[in-house]
Amino acid sequence: MPSPFPLSPQLFVGCITVLVMIHVILGIIPFLIYLERKISAYIQDRIGPNRVGFDLGLPLLKTLTRGFGFWGLGQSLADGLKFILKEDYRPFGADKWLFTLAPACAVVPAFVGWAIIPWGGHVSVPEINLFGANLVSAGTALVAVADINIGFVFLLAVAAVGVYGVTLGGWASNNKYSFLGGLRCSAGMISYEIPMGLSILAVLLVTGTVRPSLIVEQQISSPLSGTGGWLFLAQPLACLLFYTCILAEANRAPFDNAEAEQELVGGYHTEYSAMRFALFFLAEYAHMMTSSAFCVVLFFGGYHVPGLWLTYPEETGLLAVLVKVAVLVTKVLLSVCFMMVIRWTIPRIRYDQVLKLCWQSLIPASITLVVATSIMVYQGWTATWQLFVMNVLVGGAMIALFPLLPKADVNKRLPMAGSRFNPLPGEPVITGPVGGIARADDPIGGLAGSAFAPSR
Amino acid sequence: MSHLATVNLEGYVPILLLLLMAIGFAVINIIATLVIGPQRDGGVKSMTYESGMNPFGTARKRFNVRFYIIAMTFLVFDIEVIFLYPWAATYSNIDPRTPEGAVFLGRVLFFMATTVIAYVYGYRKGVFRFD
Repeated sequence: MPSPFPLSPQLFVGCITVLVMIHVILGIIPFLIYLERKISAYIQDRIGPNRVGFDLGLPLLKTLTRGFGFWGLGQSLADGLKFILKEDYRPFGADKWLFTLAPACAVVPAFVGWAIIPWGGHVSVPEINLFGANLVSAGTALVAVADINIGFVFLLAVAAVGVYGVTLGGWASNNKYSFLGGLRCSAGMISYEIPMGLSILAVLLVTGTVRPSLIVEQQISSPLSGTGGWLFLAQPLACLLFYTCILAEANRAPFDNAEAEQELVGGYHTEYSAMRFALFFLAEYAHMMTSSAFCVVLFFGGYHVPGLWLTYPEETGLLAVLVKVAVLVTKVLLSVCFMMVIRWTIPRIRYDQVLKLCWQSLIPASITLVVATSIMVYQGWTATWQLFVMNVLVGGAMIALFPLLPKADVNKRLPMAGSRFNPLPGEPVITGPVGGIARADDPIGGLAGSAFAPSR
Repeated sequence: MSHLATVNLEGYVPILLLLLMAIGFAVINIIATLVIGPQRDGGVKSMTYESGMNPFGTARKRFNVRFYIIAMTFLVFDIEVIFLYPWAATYSNIDPRTPEGAVFLGRVLFFMATTVIAYVYGYRKGVFRFD
């Protein structure tokens, strides 16, 4: 086996990105939970968590912080510590291995999914020598975990694996609420993967590549010059479809029917406690961050800010990379905040309407969009304004034509001849209650009669 | 073998590292709470939650056939989407306004038309009604 050294710059930068970004994301998630509680509190005219600081109940730290609450920022840390200290409980009849495997299945795809996000464009790596040995050769590399040529196919593959966590969790719990929640969740997640894939397809037809880094670089040009510009200008309908689908994929409101409290208690994690429950929670927030990052990379220019010279791909210095990462993370956090505002603003959609929305509206709309985009590409009409007009026309046509679609007319309620509602010809129709209804002053069969006596 | 040699698998090494870190994170957390947290088993506590009633039978029962139908239709559409990805990535790179481009587009539209026919059939059959 040949020596792996010197490492290629891409491999070196990829490993550094893994080690840094997994800590950045794991560090952001507790504060996302805090942020969600604060946003929900302000929307509902409450105050939200504002007491828990970082003194951990220790007298020394209490005197140091002088009882200062840090605006409740310690809340998530306290919650996390509490999760570890609680009893990890497995109910009777639950499948031992699958019950443990399910939270891991939920959390691993949520963390692996962001492997292809180009966090900071390209960086120039100097030659690194250690003790006279050449460790890393010089060159430029993409600040991403991996710069692989399958790009967005990787996203679809990993997103599909995320279904297993909730399905297994629901099935293994041996609880009917969990089981129904897992079923609903898996059906919803696989349904929304189709319009998600198709709306990405509409973008890929314009960009002509599946590499996220190249897609970002294509967006870095003024839309006034014809093609280019952030892709939500060229494909607003695809952006809308994609955002709807990532809301459903991350099990966020208004599509969070898997854990509808009024119907299913907690859904697939009803029986989970302690850290296994926390992993489901963590997976949801990591999923929100990952899918928001993909939305930003696809439609909102990635690390690019118009006019800010450090965010252009020609800048490969370390400062430029840090600025680009900061820009991308800021955009991702804005998108996550938007998801939270949606959750606390829009009421939950009924379950059959969730699936109906997907299969009867989003999938036809996305297929039409892909066909229209491919015809535009064939005609060479790929300027931003042309694609924008096409999107508006397709969206308007879908909205206008939807009421005219033929209604499915199977499983019609067959008239049951001779029933109370469809009496046979000549049969007397009885509209009032016919006996059998017990009242306090009029029990069945009269006060004196037996319970089985025919009523009047 | 020559085409296999050009495939660069080196780029996937950081993904493997990320995968191992994610799995390690999950495993360490689960083990930590098993070790640190209390373990007091038994009694009524081990019953599954059923709104306060005693649990009634097992949860692994037969369920609505619509979920199977969703799974089957999902397979049809998802495979179609995956097959369209290579086309979408290459179509604007060739010159689309040539006869070859037209044939390329026509074949893909025919492929999509088969799925659209399946969709319309399912729609008329009431597959996409969930009430």
